[in-house]
Amino acid sequence: MISCTEFIPAYSELFKFLEKKGGARAVLDFWNFFADAYLTTLKNLAAERGVRGCWKYWSKTLNEEAADFTMELDEEAGELTITIHHCPSKGRLLELKHLKAYGSYCRHCDILYRRVLEPLGLEYRIDLSRADQARCRVTVKAKPVKA
Amino acid sequence: MTKKVMRRRAADNVYLHKDFHGALNQALLYLHKKYGERAVRDYLRQFARNYHAPLRQALVEKGLVALKDYFERIYGLEGAECRTELSPDELTVTVPRCPAVTHIRKMDWPLAPLFQETSRTIHEAICRGTPYKAELIDYDPKTGRSVQRFLRRSERPI
Repeated sequence: MISCTEFIPAYSELFKFLEKKGGARAVLDFWNFFADAYLTTLKNLAAERGVRGCWKYWSKTLNEEAADFTMELDEEAGELTITIHHCPSKGRLLELKHLKAYGSYCRHCDILYRRVLEPLGLEYRIDLSRADQARCRVTVKAKPVKA
Repeated sequence: MTKKVMRRRAADNVYLHKDFHGALNQALLYLHKKYGERAVRDYLRQFARNYHAPLRQALVEKGLVALKDYFERIYGLEGAECRTELSPDELTVTVPRCPAVTHIRKMDWPLAPLFQETSRTIHEAICRGTPYKAELIDYDPKTGRSVQRFLRRSERPI
């Protein structure tokens, strides 16, 4: 068994394995598949309740992952922001000195969530400029309805 | 209309996101379907070789107690029972219910047909190049119940 506490290095190794098999395209194909096949809970919550559904989804996952974060929901503005002060996943990979993480590891958070949320009329942005310090910032915003 | 703020520090929670078992399961299903059985095993070998390098080194230096401690720790973290019997040349690890399979079944996700390779292939890869070998001697895909044995090789390590 790979413990769920060991999943992140297994995930990173998977990306490396896929890239060796078929380049960056193979990794992207997997991320697209994974968003469609696995992120159904987020998709359903966001479809039913918009940014409030996203709040509910990340309230569970970020707590279970013991993330250091601030999440803010403003329903009037139709906006959810998540400031990750220390990402438990990237943080783990940085701590594992014997393991070289997949170079574009954090990019999966951009591809996966955008693919789920944007078709539902939500704008998804992630600032990965400080990903090397296990920090990032996510914004999910309801797109204005065209008149 | 609601405004809410949630602030959490890492120490506020225990790191235990069981849905990661489902994520790994999906990854195995994908690899199997797109690249075949061999790719699943090759991936797991790569993971074991790279991630478990310190464990393999500890196995060489300290012997089977390194594996015993490892299994007791990871199953303990998941709140699962893991019985170990250790002698100088043999370690038996009995897991009555695999926490990964239990969670995947609970969530009603289809279990990857090669899920047991997360034990068999990984443990064989950890033992590669050491004086020990790994055997998965019993496995039930319904519950993930397993009996794994690690024993000293009579032949030279491969």
